[in-house]
Amino acid sequence: MNAFKRTSIVVLLAATLLLVTSSVVAAPGALTVPSFDALAKRATDSVNITLDSSILGLAAGFLDPSSPEDAAARDVISGLKGIYVRSYTFADDFAYPEAEVDMIRKQLSAPGWQRLVQVRNSKDHGNVDIYISTDQGRANGLAIIASEPREFTIVNIVGSIDLQKLHRIEGKFGIPNLSPTVTK
Amino acid sequence: MSNDIERELRAALRPVDPGERFAERVLARIAHDPTHSTRAPRLRRPAAASYRWWGAGLAAMVVLAVVAVHDIHVRRMEQGIEARRQLLEALRLTNEKLDIAYRAINANDRHATAQKSGA
Repeated sequence: MNAFKRTSIVVLLAATLLLVTSSVVAAPGALTVPSFDALAKRATDSVNITLDSSILGLAAGFLDPSSPEDAAARDVISGLKGIYVRSYTFADDFAYPEAEVDMIRKQLSAPGWQRLVQVRNSKDHGNVDIYISTDQGRANGLAIIASEPREFTIVNIVGSIDLQKLHRIEGKFGIPNLSPTVTK
Repeated sequence: MSNDIERELRAALRPVDPGERFAERVLARIAHDPTHSTRAPRLRRPAAASYRWWGAGLAAMVVLAVVAVHDIHVRRMEQGIEARRQLLEALRLTNEKLDIAYRAINANDRHATAQKSGA
């Protein structure tokens, strides 16, 4: 009886661990983006967008193929598993804690991620970092960290990202010609 | 012979006065009779009425199902429209930040080209 109890407990623990691990381990190219609840309270304007694959599929069904913007959006999201955006605007300069930004940057120093572009503008203190996650030469994640004195934005796009598609929708969303060869 | 029979029949069937309070006595006897029930006899509901109730129930269920399906459809539509709005907003913000990087790269390129041509 004791042996049975012990085995049951071990099996239960293993199952729980497996469940927890599978939920914690993020998909390749995905960042663990904090909820930034404290930031949202202090911000004058906040955008919190979480589009997982099911919501992306739902959104795709409501895109109008006759609209160039919608058609471009449909083209971009095919193959994507998620789009996560957090953006906060503040009334005062540097109202957001740098520690929060650093926590994200730390994740981007992990293997698989590489910095594509780094922009440091000393004049208006506008910083933009663009990172790309690759696996066997294929991009599976894109991260943008943009900070200005009164604005802080994180974008994480998960899935098979085709930079050529981004190039093709140039002019529709105003997305620039971002060639994969442009590094730093 | 036939006259005798006729006379006997007439005697037997002659009208007899039941006496006073006959009706009251009959009713009292009925009231005390244990085999007699004062309840009205149970009538079987006609089949047509039963079918009518079933029909009404079925119709109500169909109406409820239609309302539920319509409600789900409306909610799905609202979710879809909101998802589309969020998607376009996300792409707009992404583009805005990429554009900053793009302009910075272009400015650097122009600066480098100008330096080369000046040298």
